[in-house]
Amino acid sequence: MNCLQAEEYFSAHFEDALDYETLQRLGEHLTACETCQQEYARFQESVKVVQQLPQIEPSPYFMPTLLQRIAEEQRGISGVKGISTADWRQLLDVFRRPIWAFSGILALILAVTGTYLSQDGFLFDRDSRSAAVTSEPEQIRVVTPPVEIRRTVGNGSQFRPGGVLSTPARPLQQHYVLKQVSYANASTGGGL
Amino acid sequence: MLDLDDELMECYQKGDEGAFTLLVRRHQQPLINFIARFINDRDTAEDLAQETFIRIFKAAHRYKPGRAHFKTWMYHIAKNLCKNEIRNRERRDKYKVDNVVDSGSDGNNQTEKIDLIANAPANSGFQPEVELERKELRNAIQKSIAELPEQYRLPLVLRDLQGLSYDEISEVLELRSGTTKSRINRARLMLKDKLKPFI
Repeated sequence: MNCLQAEEYFSAHFEDALDYETLQRLGEHLTACETCQQEYARFQESVKVVQQLPQIEPSPYFMPTLLQRIAEEQRGISGVKGISTADWRQLLDVFRRPIWAFSGILALILAVTGTYLSQDGFLFDRDSRSAAVTSEPEQIRVVTPPVEIRRTVGNGSQFRPGGVLSTPARPLQQHYVLKQVSYANASTGGGL
Repeated sequence: MLDLDDELMECYQKGDEGAFTLLVRRHQQPLINFIARFINDRDTAEDLAQETFIRIFKAAHRYKPGRAHFKTWMYHIAKNLCKNEIRNRERRDKYKVDNVVDSGSDGNNQTEKIDLIANAPANSGFQPEVELERKELRNAIQKSIAELPEQYRLPLVLRDLQGLSYDEISEVLELRSGTTKSRINRARLMLKDKLKPFI
């Protein structure tokens, strides 16, 4: 047994928990090695002084405060399913981590901004906003020529041998509203 | 057969609130001692001990007497709370080392005073310088314990200050018995080196 191996058995030797064979080997080493003898003596001494440290007594306020807190908890449990103070504290503890705190703040900012913009009509009512920067729209009527539409037949009412039903031709009219942007008030004086 | 703690828990589960108070009275001192020695802060130790009992109170209906040991369950909860506290302190960079160490020096610690009077020899005169030396040694020990890495400090406190068995410590720390023994031995060796100037 060398010194490092001997050290591994110090606690077991101190607590009298070594088997006979190991105890003999350690005993032989300690008899032969003066350094380990001294180290073991110091080991014993340090363990003893640690074990003799006095117990720390609770303050006189410990029990009354605890009983008060337990009463509060009981009220919280039997009450209207409210969240107790401890639960809130636990919940808020999450935000002590920087990443959670940052995410929370970011989410809050986005929520506030979103609410503000939706109230202002910026996100969902673009036409009214764009109309504000355009001049009076000029309506242009575009008339498209009649188009013959061919459809495959679903029922056999007007079935023709070609498998194609021709509907009566009717002119399709589509109305487009083109908005003309006025640059009259632009700083370029109308030029680009 | 149930031990007293289990019996008290069973009584509490059946509606006897006095049983819980008795449980607290039985364990408050060792628990505060454990937490204070582990986190090295007496004031916070009381808060965390209270939090431990509150958690036990809240989870009491789930406790199965006879299946687990109340003591190891209690230390397990306290250990987790302590670890959280240490993590929070490290984050806030507010880790103090000297609250417990100086707890008796400001004259507020009544128990310490009582100890001094009780331990003073009756015939020969009370020797303040001897007591001062003893106090310095206690401070040095506490400081050395506080400086140990957490994984060694925890089993050492549970073994040498709380007097738990190796099996109980393994249960609290969720470690194998061999690992627990090896960590305790390592912690004691570290402490022996730290206390070299005093012993």
